[in-house]
Amino acid sequence: MKIKLELFGASRDFSNKDYLEFNLKEKSSIKDLRTEILNFVENKFKGNSNYKKLVQSSAFCSEENNIVSDEYKITKEQNIGIIPPIGGG
Amino acid sequence: MLHAKIIDVTKEKIDLAKAQKFIASSKCGASIYFVGTVRDQNNDKKVTGITYDSHDALVIKSFKEIYKQAETKFKFSNIAVFIEHIKGYVALGETSIIIAVACKHRSQAYEFSRYVIEEIKKRTPIWKKEHYEGEDSKWLKGNPLIDQNQLK
Repeated sequence: MKIKLELFGASRDFSNKDYLEFNLKEKSSIKDLRTEILNFVENKFKGNSNYKKLVQSSAFCSEENNIVSDEYKITKEQNIGIIPPIGGG
Repeated sequence: MLHAKIIDVTKEKIDLAKAQKFIASSKCGASIYFVGTVRDQNNDKKVTGITYDSHDALVIKSFKEIYKQAETKFKFSNIAVFIEHIKGYVALGETSIIIAVACKHRSQAYEFSRYVIEEIKKRTPIWKKEHYEGEDSKWLKGNPLIDQNQLK
């Protein structure tokens, strides 16, 4: 199952594009997606600790624009946004 | 009555006159304008500008929720609220956010306006990348939208 992870804020440093793509098993959860992103950071950025902290402190946003918990089941191919710690104004 | 919008700097300008026009009403005796601008220093670094990033759909949803919750909390009648936030690069001294609030009385306008900006700071998915003189640009640390305990 292909998931397009839309990048925002500091997570934009993960790629030159606006997104990353991950292949997840059926019935994966946000927790599984988080693990995949951590693996990506481990491989691409030699386990950069700041990037790992960023992933661990990020929320995720479903295609329906809801902030979803780690238990949320990803039931179809979709876009999911990574929402790092925020601070506008 | 609420107006909420993200302004993409590559397409349009943020404009206080629009806010004035939106909240103008003979039912209101007090208007407050909060204008956030880019300042020249942060953490002893010389700031030259800020790039703002946003999850547009979530930002608008968040503005609407904050407005509704403020309405419920304060129970003021005849309120007009205008919120616009920039997306993209903003140079020194330029405007990043406008919150305009009109209420019947001044105490109400101050309270409502303060609530809106404090809640935006806490929970609206907007990010800042600061640009410095002679140093690399940096994403600022922010407020996590998840409970860190749930991950343990």
